[in-house]
Amino acid sequence: MKQSHSHIRPLFISISALLFLSLTGCWSSHEIEEQSLVIGLALDKGKQSSIEKKLNEQGEGYSKRNLITATYQFITPEVASSTTKQAGPQQKSYVNASETGDSNHQIVRELSLRSEQPLTGYHMKVVVISEDLAKSYKLEQLLNQNLRDSEVRLSCLVLISKGKASKTLETKTAGGIPAFRLVGIVENAYRSTRILPPMSYTKVESKIQSESSFLLQNVLSANGEVKFAGAAVIDGKTHTMTGFLNEEELEGITWITGKGKGGVVKSFDKETGQLFVYEIESMKSSIIPRVTGNNISFDVNIESDGRLSENWVLSGNAFESEFLKKAEKSFENEVKRLVGNVIEKMQKEYRVDVAGFGNHLRIENPKVWKKVKKDWDQTFSETPINYHVKLTIKDYGTLGS
Amino acid sequence: MIMKDWISKINKTGKVTNNDKQEASTSQGTTGQFTDNFILNLEMVRQEIGHNWDVHFREFNLGRTGIRSIIIFVDGLSDKDLIDKHIMPSLMVDFSAEYKQNLPSFKEGISKEFIKNQVLSISDVEEVRSSKELASKVLTGSTALIIDGLLDAQILGTTKLKTRTIEEPVSEALVRGPRVGFTESLSDNTSFLRGSGEIENLSLVKFQVGKRSKKDLVVAYIKDIVDPELVQEIENRIKKIDIDNVPESGYVEQLIEDNYLSPFPQVQNTERPDRVIAALMEGRVAILLDGTPFALIAPVTLSMVLQSPEDYYERWIPGTFIRMLRYLAAILALFTPSLYIAFISFHSGLIPTKLAISIIGTRSGVPFPALIEALFMEISIEILREAGLRLPKPIGPAMGIVGGLIIGEAAVQAGIVSPVLVIVVALTAISSFSIPQYSTGFTLRILRFPAMLCAATFGLYGVILFFLFMASHLVKLKSFGVPYLSPAVPYRLSEWKDLMIRMPLMMMKRRPKMMHTKNPIRKG
Amino acid sequence: MILSPRDQITTPQATVIVINFILGTGLLTLPRSSAEKAHTPDVWISVILGGVIAIIAGVIIVKLGQQFPKKTFYQYINEIVGKWVGGLLNLAIICYFLMTSGFQLRSMAEVIRYFLLQGTPTWAITMTFMWVSLYLIIGGINPIARLFEIILPLTVILFLVVSFMSIKIFEINNLRPVLGEGVIPVLKGVKTTALAFTGPEIMLLLIPFMNQPKKAVKAVLVGVSISLIFYVITVVMVIGALSVDGVAMRTWPTLDLIRSFEVSGLIFERFESLLLVVWIMQIFSTFTITYYAASLGLAQLSKKSIQPFMFGLLPILYIIAMIWKNVNDLFKFGDFIGNFALFLFGLLPLLLLIISRIKGGKYETIT
Repeated sequence: MKQSHSHIRPLFISISALLFLSLTGCWSSHEIEEQSLVIGLALDKGKQSSIEKKLNEQGEGYSKRNLITATYQFITPEVASSTTKQAGPQQKSYVNASETGDSNHQIVRELSLRSEQPLTGYHMKVVVISEDLAKSYKLEQLLNQNLRDSEVRLSCLVLISKGKASKTLETKTAGGIPAFRLVGIVENAYRSTRILPPMSYTKVESKIQSESSFLLQNVLSANGEVKFAGAAVIDGKTHTMTGFLNEEELEGITWITGKGKGGVVKSFDKETGQLFVYEIESMKSSIIPRVTGNNISFDVNIESDGRLSENWVLSGNAFESEFLKKAEKSFENEVKRLVGNVIEKMQKEYRVDVAGFGNHLRIENPKVWKKVKKDWDQTFSETPINYHVKLTIKDYGTLGS
Repeated sequence: MIMKDWISKINKTGKVTNNDKQEASTSQGTTGQFTDNFILNLEMVRQEIGHNWDVHFREFNLGRTGIRSIIIFVDGLSDKDLIDKHIMPSLMVDFSAEYKQNLPSFKEGISKEFIKNQVLSISDVEEVRSSKELASKVLTGSTALIIDGLLDAQILGTTKLKTRTIEEPVSEALVRGPRVGFTESLSDNTSFLRGSGEIENLSLVKFQVGKRSKKDLVVAYIKDIVDPELVQEIENRIKKIDIDNVPESGYVEQLIEDNYLSPFPQVQNTERPDRVIAALMEGRVAILLDGTPFALIAPVTLSMVLQSPEDYYERWIPGTFIRMLRYLAAILALFTPSLYIAFISFHSGLIPTKLAISIIGTRSGVPFPALIEALFMEISIEILREAGLRLPKPIGPAMGIVGGLIIGEAAVQAGIVSPVLVIVVALTAISSFSIPQYSTGFTLRILRFPAMLCAATFGLYGVILFFLFMASHLVKLKSFGVPYLSPAVPYRLSEWKDLMIRMPLMMMKRRPKMMHTKNPIRKG
Repeated sequence: MILSPRDQITTPQATVIVINFILGTGLLTLPRSSAEKAHTPDVWISVILGGVIAIIAGVIIVKLGQQFPKKTFYQYINEIVGKWVGGLLNLAIICYFLMTSGFQLRSMAEVIRYFLLQGTPTWAITMTFMWVSLYLIIGGINPIARLFEIILPLTVILFLVVSFMSIKIFEINNLRPVLGEGVIPVLKGVKTTALAFTGPEIMLLLIPFMNQPKKAVKAVLVGVSISLIFYVITVVMVIGALSVDGVAMRTWPTLDLIRSFEVSGLIFERFESLLLVVWIMQIFSTFTITYYAASLGLAQLSKKSIQPFMFGLLPILYIIAMIWKNVNDLFKFGDFIGNFALFLFGLLPLLLLIISRIKGGKYETIT
């Protein structure tokens, strides 16, 4: 039974026709070495750079309002080849280009007028928004183009910067790439309680859609150096930045949410005034809403295991459990102070819930949540919160006293 | 009257002119049948094959009698030893002894029975009645004996072909396994199949193919295992072969396969007897052709052409590992260049950022788009490989080094290709060489190119479509009624023991169901 | 058209066909379309309920078909309701299959154009796709079933790999509280989710091809259940990572899920390519089987050979796919097909089953 080939001929004809037509173009083909990869974006309040001013003087410009200055950090083929071929140590490993305008998308396309390698956003890792911009415009307006785009991935991180965002994308270290540096620091969350869990576009968007307030990590910059310090408070209703939590307050938030993966707590011994330090191995917190009638209150139970990692108290002997107990108490008080501080700030000063209390209420008492969810931030500011902290020092390293 | 003319002509020149030929044939009929005239018979034979320089005619008399005889043989094809030591003595020296002894009964002449039964001390004796048959036998190495007074000519089997010593087949070397390969002699090969142990019910059925150059072809199968319909089908197809010469089994393969348009081989070829025997045990059929060491096995499925006997000779863990490695190699050989093109030219966003940056860096000087680069390198590799086959042994390895290192390296330095591509191409080449069956490796190498073109036009989507197209083709392909992709599809879980992994021998108790064998259980 | 006796499929093959038919565009859009209606993270329960409904419908269809084991629906419908009504119903079903094909074709083209091939004209994408499908179906139901058997394990493996990677950004809290808003929203979502399970209707014409028609019920059961598992995993992972509110606004949420994380170090880092591979293959299978079903229908309706119809339907399918101007129109078309399916395969088989049972056992002798 050989296979029949009676239908081969029409198939052949149709495929040849198709193939000839297809050969006319590899339409979407863009060779990788002809592209510049955008890896970071900084959005600042509109202020034209000197180059732009010069170009505008010569040309006539186009209709735009100078609202946003977008600084794109990208890797051009020249830069990439110089890094891989190990050229001189003075070479920069990235290129920053700024444009001012009002539409993000138009700004990007403007850059195509200035460079022969079009920008592709597939590899964008981080977006830094400056404080001024975040305070004046809604987050979803600023990020709208990126969220719609098929190129920019939703895994891109969002950060706020105090001061000019474009400065966070600069570095003086040879071979360093600022965008990668920022992303790398986020991954250090297991070493400090002052780093928030990363907020990617996905998470930012869900928060915006659900109208809940949240925090965005803040970055400072000076002289080509950066530091993660504190967080910006984004209000759930206005979607703009309405406040700022400093580093210690951010620590408090981490303790409340229990999402920390590591870090240290420093405390001072009451008697000697010397410091000792507690290193966090694990932390856990449970937020329990209590509803009685129309009254809502929260209980926060924070637990943590760790070790005594540094001890300046000369009289302290770690082999004695008394000392350990004393240390524990001291640390617990410190944590309580951090937590208390930030709760105060959240409720009294900014009147927002950025620690996820509302979420827990939603899960435990959905019916009550339904009633209060509209003005939750307001209601939250009046909700009493009780908190308990329990720390356990499991070990003290290799040194006893 | 006619005969007198002839005798005078023979005495003069020993040759016969055309006119005489015609006369001879008209009086003899066109069949060349022997008559009782010795000289006439001789004449017919000389017409047929006498003009060949290697055909020798040795006339003599039988024993001490006056009976004329002649032996005709081809120098080089016949076993001279046999002729000199057995045939001639038995006809010349010993004959007289027999003759004398039986003198009373041999007054009138001798009979062929006497010659055959009492005189010729040879094992292989046949009779022919026409010069055409005689000619074809002589030209294949037998010796013909014509005796005055007998209507038939005796054909003595003295064929001795020059054969190679048995050595391991070059194209199918194994690390572990018998170092035996088929030779060009059909009888040697069938003797391999009979093997050092008896195979129950092994049938070897002979056919002849080729109208002009008739070659012997043997179909081998195990009678109580194989599906009789399969044997019937194969025999039918062989009988339909209508061509004048079949120099190699490849011709047979191409003339009996199901779908000549498919790039995939539907008949397996091998030089190894152990492979053939294993196949026969599974209920398949083998075809051996005289003159070539490559035997054919049918039917065949995709999984079979990706297997090697070594999988079975090693234990099951290494066997499974090697087999999975080979499947991976097959996929790599087929898709790596097209995936490279797809990602580099179309979807730079789908590769890790650090990798993208380093690729950009190394590719920035390259003037060609990825497709041209890849085609250039792939075609060069193919040319190199082909050239390597033709080179004399001393230069071969050196050429490999030259081609691989120097040209590749130089191309990168010159900025014509990027280093990543060199790695891709090298990986592809090595993967395709690791396929045990040469024809299949070739198929994968060829299919690379359409895959690359699809990738160059449509990127990853093109590669996927190409995969779907190829899978559709494979799924429709059948080799002698067995779907090419068995046992993977249709699902038959019990057969997966031998597909991707190789289960321990203890667990492989049954013969493959797809062969519709008559005797499903292997043990006994 | 004579069903060649060699064109038989096994029970696992029938199951595989059902699964591949069901899994299609829904993989990408189900989380959104169901969350839109229900507004609660409990839609995974809606999905399960939808699946159960599909199983019931499937079993009814099988029971109907088992009364006429050697005939496809197109052939036995006439015996139940007569020539004219039967012909009309046949045409309706053929139209349904055609519309589904066109819909799948266009959704595929949209996603490919947006995510993979930005500059390529749509006709190039669709025509090559259709051609490969044509090449496959010319071989009959058997190669189709075999190819599906290849596609399915690939789909399963890649899909599971990708889903488990997304555990990285999965937050169980996004799925809680379970049944927080009561059962009503869950029920609201069931209509959308049930429509994602359109697929068992292929049994209307598969039964005569099966070499063991008695096992058809099992095939449908297993087929729908496996698709159910797929869909539940999809919905759970997507909503778990994106949260209900995040999902409601994204056009292709599942794809966004995969794009939301990067696993640095692992070969690809970005895994949407894997999901797209899975998805293209699934769309291909859905398109192919509906294409075949439509051709078969036309061939059996007009009692001619199937091949000219296969070629002839090419331009029709192309037109159906290309008519829609934008993505919204396309989705509305999808909803319309869904509603159509509800009637055709939810209610109709039940009616027919009752009628045929009433008409008595005279069909049972035709075996």
